[in-house]
This record gives sequence, C-alpha cells and structure tokens, in this order.
Amino acid sequence: MNEQLVTCAALTKRYGGKRALAGVDLELGRGRIVGLLGPNGSGKTTMIKILCGLLQPTEGAVLVDGQPVGPYTKSIISYLPDRMYFADWMKATDLFDLFADFYKDFDRTKAMSMCASLGVTPSDRLKSMSKGTKEKVQLVLVMARKAQLYLLDEPIAGVDPAARDFILSTILTNYNEEGTVLISTHLISDIEKVLDEAVFLKEGQITLHDTVDNIREREGKSVDALFREVFRAANYEGGAF
Amino acid sequence: MFGKLLKYDFRSMLKQFAFIWPTALVLAIVNRFTLDGLDSTSSVGETTAGIAMLVYVAILISMFIVAVIFVIQRFYRGLLGDEGYLMHTLPVKPWQLIGSKLACALVVTVVNILVAILSILLIVPWAASDLKELFEGFQYLFAHWNIQATQIMIAMLEFVLFSLASFAVGYLHLYLSMAIGHLFNKNRVAMSVIAFIAIQVLLSILGTILARPFSDLIYPAFSSLDGMPAYHISMWVLIAGEMILAAVYFVGTEYILRKRLNLE
Amino acid sequence: MDWTFTDDRPIWQQITEQLTLRILKGEYPPGGRLPAVRELATQAGVNPNTMQRALAQLETEGLAVGSRTAGRTVTEDTAVIEAAARERARAAVAACLRILAELGYSPENALVFVKEELSNE
Repeated sequence: MNEQLVTCAALTKRYGGKRALAGVDLELGRGRIVGLLGPNGSGKTTMIKILCGLLQPTEGAVLVDGQPVGPYTKSIISYLPDRMYFADWMKATDLFDLFADFYKDFDRTKAMSMCASLGVTPSDRLKSMSKGTKEKVQLVLVMARKAQLYLLDEPIAGVDPAARDFILSTILTNYNEEGTVLISTHLISDIEKVLDEAVFLKEGQITLHDTVDNIREREGKSVDALFREVFRAANYEGGAF
Repeated sequence: MFGKLLKYDFRSMLKQFAFIWPTALVLAIVNRFTLDGLDSTSSVGETTAGIAMLVYVAILISMFIVAVIFVIQRFYRGLLGDEGYLMHTLPVKPWQLIGSKLACALVVTVVNILVAILSILLIVPWAASDLKELFEGFQYLFAHWNIQATQIMIAMLEFVLFSLASFAVGYLHLYLSMAIGHLFNKNRVAMSVIAFIAIQVLLSILGTILARPFSDLIYPAFSSLDGMPAYHISMWVLIAGEMILAAVYFVGTEYILRKRLNLE
Repeated sequence: MDWTFTDDRPIWQQITEQLTLRILKGEYPPGGRLPAVRELATQAGVNPNTMQRALAQLETEGLAVGSRTAGRTVTEDTAVIEAAARERARAAVAACLRILAELGYSPENALVFVKEELSNE
C-alpha cells in the first residue's frame, strides 16, 4: 500500500492549441471525500478522465496506488461518468453480471438491495427505463463496488434538489470508508457538508487544496462563499473588456 | 479477462443474429418444398416458388450485410462511442478489447458462411439413394486415402486459413480507419471513410511498387518447382502477407486506442 | 431532529455543539448508547470523518466514553454533564448581560429587569 492514493505531477493536457490542464500537482490520501470544484470548462472532467484512463496526458505523470494508469488502477477505481454508457439491449442484471465478472470488489447482493431501496427493478430492460432510473442504475453499479477510488463526475448536475440529497446520501451510506471519493461539481453548497477536502480548479490549474474545516476556520465563511468570490473575480479579469 | 470480454461480445452477437440465422435455415427448408412447384404446371406453385426463393436470397444477402454493419457498430459504438466509457474503464488492456471484437467478427463471418452452405444443402431435395451414394463415396475416399488426398486436404485448409486472414485484414482495415477518424475533433465519421479510402490507395500504390522486386526475388525459387509444392508455397506467401498486413493494422489501432483515446 | 449548519465555522464544531445540547437535554441519557458514526453521519448528511471528529471532541470534553469500534455511550458521570450544562448556561448569561450592557443597563438594573421579566411569565 502506498501512502498517497493519487499522485499527479505536472499534469498537462492540451487539445490542439487549447490547454485543459496546465501543470497540475495533486496528492490525495485515503479515506477522504474530496470535492473537485470549478466552473464548467475548468478541467474537472479532463482530470477525472485522465485518472480513469480515458485520456492520456500530454505531459506529466499520474500514479494511483503507486501504479501508472492501467488494468491494475482500473480494477480499483469506480467511475461514474457524466453520461449514460450502456448498450440498450441489456438489463440492469446483465450489467451486474458484467461488473461481477470484471471487478472483484463488486458486491452483487449490495447492488440488489440498493436497487430495492432506490425503487429500481433490475430485471427491466434499460431501454424501457426513464433517464432518472438509468442514472440510478449507474449509481448502483458504481457504489456497489468496494473500490479504493471513486471518481464521480458531476453526479448531482441536472437533477432537482430532492434527488441531490438522495444521491449524496446513497454515496455516503455506500462508499468504502478506506477508499477515497473524488466528486467533481460546480454546485458546492449542496455537497460542502459531505466533503473533507476541497480542490479548486481554475483554468486548468489548482488554486486551492485544503480541508473544508481549515478553509472555514481561516476564512470565516463557507467553501461555497469562497468559491463564489474566487470565481467571480476570475470572471471580471477575463470579462467583457 | 480476455475470455470474459469474449463472453460479452458473443452475447451481443447472439442478440443480433438470433433471428436471422434460424430464419435463413427455415427459409431454405421452405424452398426445399416450394421448389417442386417449378416442375408443376400450376402458376400458383411457380409464383410461390419464386417468392420463396426471392425471400431466401434476400435473407442470405442481408445476413452478410448485417454482419458488416455489426462489425462496424460493435467497434464504433462499443469502443469509440458512449459504451467506450464502460469498456475502456474495465481492467483490461486495449489489445484485448480489439482482439475480442475481431474474434467475434470472425466467428460471425464463419457462422454466416456455414449457415449459407448448410441452407444450400437443405434446399437440395436429397433422395435416400443420393445420401447413400454420398456416404459410399466418402467411405471409398477414406479406404483409398493417398498422398493426393492429403495434398488436397492441406490445400483446402490453406485456403480456409487464407480466407480467414483476408477477413481479418478487412475488419482490421475498418477498425484502423475508425480509429484514425477518431483522432479528429470534428466529422469523425467522414474522416473514418476518408481514412479507409486512403489506406486502400496507399496499399495499392505499395503493391505496385513492390510487385516487381518481389516477383524477381521469388521467381527463381518457383521455377524449379511445379504443381502442388508451388501451390502450397504461394498460398503460404499469401497467408503470411495477409498476416503481416493484419498485424500492422492491429498495432496501429491498438496504438491509437492506448495513446490517443479521446471520447467525446 | 434536524441538523442545521451555518457557513461561518467548521461543521464538526457545530455538530459537537448540537450533540452536546442533545445530551444536556437528556435526548441521549447518561450511560445511553450513542448511534454509530456512520448512522449519525447519514442522519446529518455529513461525511463520516466530520462526524468522527465531532464525537472525538465530545470524548475530549468527557461527555462521551468508549471507542469507535466498540461504540460510544454518554458518560454516566452526571457531574460532567451538569458541569457542561453550567458552562453553557454561564455562556448564555454572559452573552445576555453583554447585550444588556450595550443597551445601557447597569448590572443592578439588569438584575431588576430580569426579575421583573421572570415574574411576568
């Protein structure tokens, strides 16, 4: 076991001429819930995709549990993408079979009981499910694993506040406490109280990485309020002139 | 892990072809009986036979078209579309993903051909005496097995191997084209088509340039041979050629998926 | 019971205060078992680490005893609870007196005023 779960060194990603990440250094320990916070287009999704191996960095290095991204790191990462990723002909139970086959840490019994408490019928075809139900299935797949690292890309964007609480409590009740959860979002007020640490990502660079307690103690205000300040200023600087 | 990937690719294959394969065989059996109508003088029998034959041929053709669409879709949607988010985060290597798709594509092709052959055999109105003759023919062949028979068997095997390699090259050509198209940020489908044609053109230019020196190189060896040995050697040269091409396509595709993956 | 948090201070401190209040009110009686960290965290909608820290603070203050693995109980030592209640009461009175002083009440007048208010109730 390595001390740090995630280590990023001078991580840079360019798309053509555009820089999505510009020299990110980041270390994440174990057993934390970390918010990856930034407005749209600040590089959150790029960061997460690099960690789970869907993108290759242009420069820099990533280690997860001391290993470069590959089959081993993928086996300990549970990833919730910002979109639906399954073939329509499948049933939720087919996906459970698939996850049980490929991930040793997938707990089928837990998945079934999560379905029951979320009101999902796992024997239904995905094709016949509503968008909200499909999202629940995806959340079940991700949280029924006892993963070392959960990468949740905008899990509460585009849902109503009631569903947000629901999703957050599902995450809180089900994640592996020895593992780390990285949640990317721009809706901070909703998740602030579940976070241990906050990472501010601004135009592809980390401008702040501290515990939520420290931030509140030092600034005398919530992370959400600080976030609004930091990024409103950013808008002025790069604004209309 | 590779075996598990195969399991899921085969499952989606079965979903796709569960209808068309049995249908082709059933239609063949229907034709077996309606074909008799052609001999009869009744126009009803003739029309029925005509329609049945038309439907059968249509199914057979569509079976092969569906196969090509299936091969393209399983790769494009499965690895480069939204499903790619699932497949590329599984704890497997990119070559296993491609290999599994390719193995599945080849199995579809082989089963298609077997179904086609079997269906033709089903159409033929075998009489009991025909089957008896056929059986006796085989008995005779095995009883008098000789070097020529072995040679023919080997030649057939070589042909099958060559066909498989050619199909693999064809599918990997499609895969590489889609992977190259994926490198672009816009118009990925159009770029894939252009890549497909470009590879084809490149290949024929290369063929034209290399044909002469290659035949100069190989001709002296051939001139001293004749008949079967020459056939075997040329088959193996062809097979090796296809294998090399397949390997190049495979490596290219694998490189792009490993190093340049960029799902939208 | 609901949990409410303000933005200006760390959440764990606010949880400690609210848990203390529940103990003082007898919602969690002396010697009674406290819910598990995870359960409390889910109730409050906070991270288990935050809840853990709040409970650790209760232990430091002597209000809770036990360990994370064996489960925690409220202390049986009622003297500790009473002391904590007094501490709270003292802080509340101090705050009240400060406000009255700002309003111009001398300590004597403040006492008279409080007595009047009590008899009116």
